[in-house]
Amino acid sequence: MASSFLQSIFHPNEIVALIQYKFFRPPPIHVIPPEQKTKIRCYEFLNETSRSFASVIQELDDGIRDAICIFYLVLRGLDTIEDDMSILIEKKEPLLRNFHKTLYKKGWTFDESGPNEKDRQLLVEFNVVIEEFLRLERQFQDVIVDITNKMGNGMADYAKDAAHNKYGVMTNKDFDLYCHYVAGLVGIGLSSLFSISGLEKPELANDTELSNSMGLFLQKTNIIRDYLDDLSGNRRFWPKEIWSIYVADLADLKKPGYETKAINCLSTIILNALQHIPDCLTYLNKIQNRSIFSFCAIPQVMAIATLALLFKNYNVYTSVVKIRKGETVKLILKCTDIYEVANIFRYYTRVIIQKNDSKDPNFMKISMACGKVEQWCQTNLPDIDSYSPQQDNDIMIFLIGFILSAFAAYLLHYVNQEHLDYQGRESLDVFD
Amino acid sequence: MVENYLIIGGDGFVGRWIVEMLIKRGETSITVFDIVQRYFDKEIKHYQGDLSNYDDINECIKKENITAVIHTASPPHDGKSEELFWKVNVEGTKNVIEACINNGVKKLVYTSSSSVVYDGYSELINTDETAPYPEKHMNVYNETKAAGEKLVLEANGRNGLLTCALRPCGIFGPNDRQAIPGFIKVMELGQTKYQIGNNENFVDWTYVENCAYAHVLAVDKLSVENQTAGEAFFITNGTPVPFWDLCRFIWAQFNHYPPYILKFPSSFGFIIASFAELASFVTGKEPGFTRFRVRFTTTNRYFNINKARNRLGYEPLVDLEEGARRACQPVIDSFNNQRK
Repeated sequence: MASSFLQSIFHPNEIVALIQYKFFRPPPIHVIPPEQKTKIRCYEFLNETSRSFASVIQELDDGIRDAICIFYLVLRGLDTIEDDMSILIEKKEPLLRNFHKTLYKKGWTFDESGPNEKDRQLLVEFNVVIEEFLRLERQFQDVIVDITNKMGNGMADYAKDAAHNKYGVMTNKDFDLYCHYVAGLVGIGLSSLFSISGLEKPELANDTELSNSMGLFLQKTNIIRDYLDDLSGNRRFWPKEIWSIYVADLADLKKPGYETKAINCLSTIILNALQHIPDCLTYLNKIQNRSIFSFCAIPQVMAIATLALLFKNYNVYTSVVKIRKGETVKLILKCTDIYEVANIFRYYTRVIIQKNDSKDPNFMKISMACGKVEQWCQTNLPDIDSYSPQQDNDIMIFLIGFILSAFAAYLLHYVNQEHLDYQGRESLDVFD
Repeated sequence: MVENYLIIGGDGFVGRWIVEMLIKRGETSITVFDIVQRYFDKEIKHYQGDLSNYDDINECIKKENITAVIHTASPPHDGKSEELFWKVNVEGTKNVIEACINNGVKKLVYTSSSSVVYDGYSELINTDETAPYPEKHMNVYNETKAAGEKLVLEANGRNGLLTCALRPCGIFGPNDRQAIPGFIKVMELGQTKYQIGNNENFVDWTYVENCAYAHVLAVDKLSVENQTAGEAFFITNGTPVPFWDLCRFIWAQFNHYPPYILKFPSSFGFIIASFAELASFVTGKEPGFTRFRVRFTTTNRYFNINKARNRLGYEPLVDLEEGARRACQPVIDSFNNQRK
């Protein structure tokens, strides 16, 4: 906790956001009656398995929250099986392909996950997820089953694909297809759930292209950021079509002597991700429900903030690059409507423009991709420049004194409490 | 439908691309009218004449039984003579319109300019065709282009003539005489390291082939049903980019990369430019650095081309990056030849 404040020490508006988030944000008001033990357990699992999504899911409106929570846990269960290298392919394949049928098997549990799978407990108690799944409306169930079926089969195909396992993703088309299976389908499923809930228009479910782009933009950003981590686990998601322009092997990118190539390769794959932005903004512009809007928009703004940070940043090849927690919290608090979100995208595309340089082989293409974001905003939100965002700057001048003293007081308090307060430290661990 | 085409200004930069595009697609009746003759193709009839002389253009249209006219002729932007702009852009255009009406021409497409809506200082942010003409135009070029455009659009429907106007922005291409030489001059003067403004202003450009393509589409699609008759259309590459980015990309084609970049806020630029203008006023020399230039490099200037997309079916054929490469190639070749 204190470290997040320290990281943001030169960004006072982030300190404001951190304080606001920590002390002044109303907790989600919904309370689950104590007799609904399986539902309580499901939300506990949500908090244990997801730092990124737990809070945004819990803030969803009543008509949709449980369905999204169960959808998330089902996919998390599927993902835990897919990731588990201790399960032999002969066993894994039918598990993945039939996982959607498992959802109807009351009492089904699975305790054969490897000891290192962090979410193995979810499968050990998967009967509670199934129980809650069966309580959902029939239409919600159908969507979850349909997406689980498609994703499970997609994962099984990849798991069996020897070339994929050895060489990783090959072409840019493969890259899109892989991301479609692991993330685009989630977007498509979510849109269907939103429509069925009645909180969004029925047409949203048919915008599969846009829903897919939402997933692709997030997944590609994660894949770019996780280069080092994935490579150490011998997972190769960067498409060969991109890295082979620069190096003979994906792992060469992190080697000394390849710095310029590594940076140029990074720009190429970031450009690939940037091209989804107009679709993502178009999708967000269709969302009507405020809680669904935040749920969809928060991960998207995290992604553009991350891409802006990763662009031209060699640290991608040496360590884990993450946006500051203060920045994260500031963005979460801002994700209230399409104008705010569009302005966040414009802000970060300008960061990219400032870092762009004419020696980069994708210089002009990146410039054009950023121009497209700007033009999207002006075309679809023509009054965006007269829209006044939450003016943090003016208030800042008055608040800086207060913040600094509050910060000092907090630090003193924290230092005194440090050895007692391990719990408090974790409470802000969103979006890790 | 088979048309007898007349391209006025067909020896000019945009006109020539239109002529070649028509030849390429197998048109058999193409006539060019221009004040000079630079190209000699056997399949094309060429009339050399002066637009301000009604008989010159009337004779050409009558003799060749023209059905579709594309009027691209205009003196270059930087021409000094105000009188010439009025003579060609307004009087000349009047003559073209009269000759079209008197000879029963069916279609007239006019090459206007995106600058007809520019007052010289306002930002043009995603501007579309609903933007009005400014009360006061920035210069005579813009004023006369706007006057010509109005005449053309008002003539729509007279004696069965259908008209439309295209407003391209920042036309550039191989052997252009305005855009690319401007970029190269900055490079030769060693001024590429200076940046006025924060490079967050977006600017549109149009690769010449896309511009020509829009003209061909406009002739093809000119009709009442398509909602193209009597209409103006902005034409660009559809990808606005930060002002300095295209400059730096063009310099990069010559392997020139600014060693470092000195950024000046635009307010500072205005002060310096004011002094430069004052100095040039005193000395009587042409100022090299003007407030207009500061504005030109620091304001937004880009357009929404959805109307052209929807009604003309226009989509750029060559993207900005490829266009800039092609535009630089002849200059790179000539540099290489000089070295040999």
